[in-house]
Amino acid sequence: METKKIHAALADITAEQDPTLKSLKLASLCSALWLEHGIELVVVGGSAIEILTEGAYASGDLDLCHATKASLPVAERKEIMGLLGAKGGPRNWQVAGMYLDLLGPVESFARTPYRRVEAPYGGILLMKPEDLLVERVLMTFYLGESQMARDCAKKFISVILTGGVAVNWDEVRRLANLPEYRNLPQCVQFVKEVADELKIKSPLHPD
Amino acid sequence: MNLKSKVPCIPIEGSISYEDWLKGRRFRREMGNLVAPEIIRRKTSSSDRRLKKLFNGERGLPFTPTEKL
Repeated sequence: METKKIHAALADITAEQDPTLKSLKLASLCSALWLEHGIELVVVGGSAIEILTEGAYASGDLDLCHATKASLPVAERKEIMGLLGAKGGPRNWQVAGMYLDLLGPVESFARTPYRRVEAPYGGILLMKPEDLLVERVLMTFYLGESQMARDCAKKFISVILTGGVAVNWDEVRRLANLPEYRNLPQCVQFVKEVADELKIKSPLHPD
Repeated sequence: MNLKSKVPCIPIEGSISYEDWLKGRRFRREMGNLVAPEIIRRKTSSSDRRLKKLFNGERGLPFTPTEKL
C-alpha cells in the first residue's frame, strides 16, 4: 500500500469516534499491510463479537491472531507497525487512538470459513461464529454465571437467531461435543432460553 | 414484531460488503437489546490501567447510541 494511502487511512481511523468502526477500520488497515508480508490476520474474541453483533461489549483494544502458520519476525513487525506510527510492540501496540494486541496463532475448531467483511482498507477475517458461540456459552458457565458473559452470549445468540449472522448449527453441535468444550447440554439450554424470549423455535432443540 | 432480518446477513461463505455491513448495524444492535441491556462492556479487566489512561478513565470510546446507527 502506498505511503500516501496509509497516511490517509490512519488519519481517518484516528479521527473515528465510533468504537466499532474504529476497530473494524484498524483491523482492515493492519490486515492489508500484514497480508503484503504473507500473513493473514483474524479478528478474535470480544472484538470479533462486537463486529458481528454491535453488542456494545468490547473495550478499547482490538484482538488479532494470525491464521497463517508462522507470524513475522520482530523486525518486520516493527517495520509494518512503524508505518502506522504505532507505539510499543512486539505484541501490543498503541495505534490510532486505541490498542492492538496480536495474540499469536488462531485457535479454531470449526470447519466453516472465517467470516469476511470487505472493510474500507481491505477485507477482514472474523473468528467463526460457531467457535465463538460455543466458547461464549462455556465462559458463561465457567465463570460462575458471570452476568456480563451471559449477556454477551445472549446478545450473540439473538443476533444469530434473528438472521443477522449465519451459522452452521450442525457444526455448533459438533463443536459442543468436542473434548475441548463438552458443553452441548448448556448450548442447547442457552439457545432455547434466548429463542423462548424471542418466541421463536430453537434450531438446536430436538423436536 | 417480525424478528427476521430485513438487512443483509453476515454469510458463512463469501463476504459481506462494507455498505451491507453498515446497513445491518442497527438491526443487530436492536436484536441484541431484546435479550440483554444495551451496554454490557465489562467494568474491569487486566487491561484497565492502559485503557483508562488512554480513554480518560473509561475502558473505551462511548458506543454510538442505537438510534444513530
